[in-house]
Amino acid sequence: MDPSQNDYHISFFKPTTDSARRNRNMVVQLILIWVVAIFGFQITLKIIEKPVPEPAYTLFESSWEGIESGNPTLTDLQGAGQAALSVLGKIAIDPGHRELLDNAVSWMAYQISEQKDELKSAVAAFEEIAASSTVITDETYVAEKNELIPVLAGLFDLNPLDVRAKIAPLEVKSSLMESFDDSSRDQMVETMGLYLIHNRSVLTDAKFLGFPFHYFYTAVFLLILFVGLCWLYCVRTDMFHKKYGIED
Amino acid sequence: MKKILLPIVLISLPTLLNAATAATQLEGGFKVGPAIILITILILFVMVGVVFRAKDTTDFYAAGRGISKVGSGMAIASNWMSAASFLGMAALMYGSGYHGLAYVVGWTGGYVLLLILMAGQIRKYGKYTAADFIGDRYYSKTLRAVGAIIAILISIAYAVGQFGGIGLMFKWVMGIDYTMAVIIGGAVVLTYTMISGMLGVTKNMQIQYVIIIISFLIPLFILTAKFDYFWLLPQIGYGSVVSDAISGLPVNETKALINSLGHDYAIVPAPEYAMPWDPATGKSFFQWIAIAFSLMIGTAGLPHVIQRFYVVPKARDARWSVVWGLFFISILYWSAPAYAAFGKILSAHPEVGTLAKDAIVVYTAQLGNIHPLIVGFLAAGGVSAAFSTVSGLLVAGSSAFAHDLYVKVINPNATPQRQLLYARLATILMAIIVTLLALKNFALIGQLVAVAFSLAGCTIFPLFLLGIWWSGSNKAGAIAGLITGGTVAVIAITYFIAGKSGVTLPAHDFISYWLEAWYFAWIGAPLAILVHIIVSRLTKETPLEIRKFLIEQVHS
Repeated sequence: MDPSQNDYHISFFKPTTDSARRNRNMVVQLILIWVVAIFGFQITLKIIEKPVPEPAYTLFESSWEGIESGNPTLTDLQGAGQAALSVLGKIAIDPGHRELLDNAVSWMAYQISEQKDELKSAVAAFEEIAASSTVITDETYVAEKNELIPVLAGLFDLNPLDVRAKIAPLEVKSSLMESFDDSSRDQMVETMGLYLIHNRSVLTDAKFLGFPFHYFYTAVFLLILFVGLCWLYCVRTDMFHKKYGIED
Repeated sequence: MKKILLPIVLISLPTLLNAATAATQLEGGFKVGPAIILITILILFVMVGVVFRAKDTTDFYAAGRGISKVGSGMAIASNWMSAASFLGMAALMYGSGYHGLAYVVGWTGGYVLLLILMAGQIRKYGKYTAADFIGDRYYSKTLRAVGAIIAILISIAYAVGQFGGIGLMFKWVMGIDYTMAVIIGGAVVLTYTMISGMLGVTKNMQIQYVIIIISFLIPLFILTAKFDYFWLLPQIGYGSVVSDAISGLPVNETKALINSLGHDYAIVPAPEYAMPWDPATGKSFFQWIAIAFSLMIGTAGLPHVIQRFYVVPKARDARWSVVWGLFFISILYWSAPAYAAFGKILSAHPEVGTLAKDAIVVYTAQLGNIHPLIVGFLAAGGVSAAFSTVSGLLVAGSSAFAHDLYVKVINPNATPQRQLLYARLATILMAIIVTLLALKNFALIGQLVAVAFSLAGCTIFPLFLLGIWWSGSNKAGAIAGLITGGTVAVIAITYFIAGKSGVTLPAHDFISYWLEAWYFAWIGAPLAILVHIIVSRLTKETPLEIRKFLIEQVHS
């Protein structure tokens, strides 16, 4: 090779001038901060997390044993019903899981009720009105729903003002009351665990400015850091350029 | 301009006020107030575009390099803040909770890479387009053509999500079906882009940024104030909304607050909304990391983003414009999660039904009982966000075709007039292709846009990174790296399209998980870089004039 050609080589990792060396060091420092701040934090979250059940899951576990045994007490049915309604109150539920849980709460309500036929008729009547109503502010629809809420709240031992009681008329189905087959029961524990057990740690439980700390860190702080890193780079680059007489 | 706009506003005002109630429906029905606001804003954009229209080819491509660093930062933000940012990000968090924050981090963190590794050097290199750089740096007409084709593909992939967002908002405002809304929206954005050209678009982008950010922030101030949170800084105030969603909000603690449908502002405990990679969301730790990484390197490889650095006068301005751009972008990104959090609680009652996630920003404002005209302004902001990005994408794509393919490869003697004609024909063709793809409604807006990022991360990012920082990077290495990254992209996108078309390919579940269409760059980019380095080391050295240029011009 022509020896003169060796004079023209650029490599980020092998800078040949003082200014290039300083620039490389600065870039490496900033990238290290960037990597640790983003990925280091998420990896830490992953390492220290533990599966923590919601109180509703603990209630479900203690109630489900009785139901599985085939001889559930009233408390078992109410507990499992409350837990299932806690899941149904969540928005993002797989349609298949919703159907399963609707079946569970409908069957439990039917088992608890001492006036089974009346309950089934009341639920069926509400379903009929709901199907014919085009808007949720329809007076008949609202009246029927408001009548059903305390009935179902009473069955599940809930305050009628409880969110779970308020959604119960929309989840209890007359067609799903009488049976809750074995294959559905087999899916209950896994389904309830899916929605009621969460990855938590000291970083998710600590609060900062009203946020869970990890959420604040990722949604707010990291963006501040990115702007700060960019600002720092520009300021230091301007300083280098001034020092070394580099013109843009 | 004032003479034209003032009568429009005066004529529209009574209609706007009378039409306010028409916007209270979550879906369906023609909403007169929002429609007038939308039309007024679109007319404003076209007017500004006409006033600052492109006069020659240089204007069309790079806006005469006459934009200040703050103005350019605003243009970067407007160019960047697409339907994916405005509508899609809240949608992702609304649907997948903490998983959605991977998109927030990915779409902002990439700017740090872009700045410290590329921005100033790209400006110093002094080219007009990404393909220009690739063709020149790798001394290959073929690579220039391939670079241009990739730039066009990336622009198309990116624009599909935008057209989807425009369609959703037109559907919401006009009460028409999605197909018709996409076609009308596509026609309007095409007309706008054609008239204004790049100079108009750049000037417009500053106005668009202001409209976008104001329309996005006003409802948030109102929501936080109305639901009794710290409203002076909603970007912090919504932290308590997130905590309320986690712990649950019983009816007796809601101070009789209700949504627009009359449901209590209450929710059962929903920790899955904010806990990391929660099983209920079906998303894993790996996916979080892969998405954030892919989006970040994709940011540093997007042609229409890189192209913004050619429009600033100096390399220093290119650097500072990134700082300003990222700050302006972050204002929106700090705010978007708030819509998702409010949306989660306001739509918690099953009677609200399943809402289109990509319109959750607008639905949240509606459910929060915000004045319909403000909701209409918000929807118009969403359309503006999509418009500003689409126009930039169409220009980047048409530049790639007319400048990099037609002039540099096919007909070097083309006159500037003919070049401009081809640029405009390419714009029309791209708009038609994007409209047809948007009608398929393949995925959420944010996910569709993420495909473009992964594609850019696998192909263009390695070429720029190594091309700027290593003189040993040569043509053979570039070709090998491009083939590697391209192969990963083709596999991922083929499996994605097959899956959407109901076709099951071999190892479908495995490939779909590890090479999902919105994060395949997590492996595609490192592989492309590795192959590029190995092949470069094994083959003929980069010509002296290129190495000299790198040292004397780019790194001087």
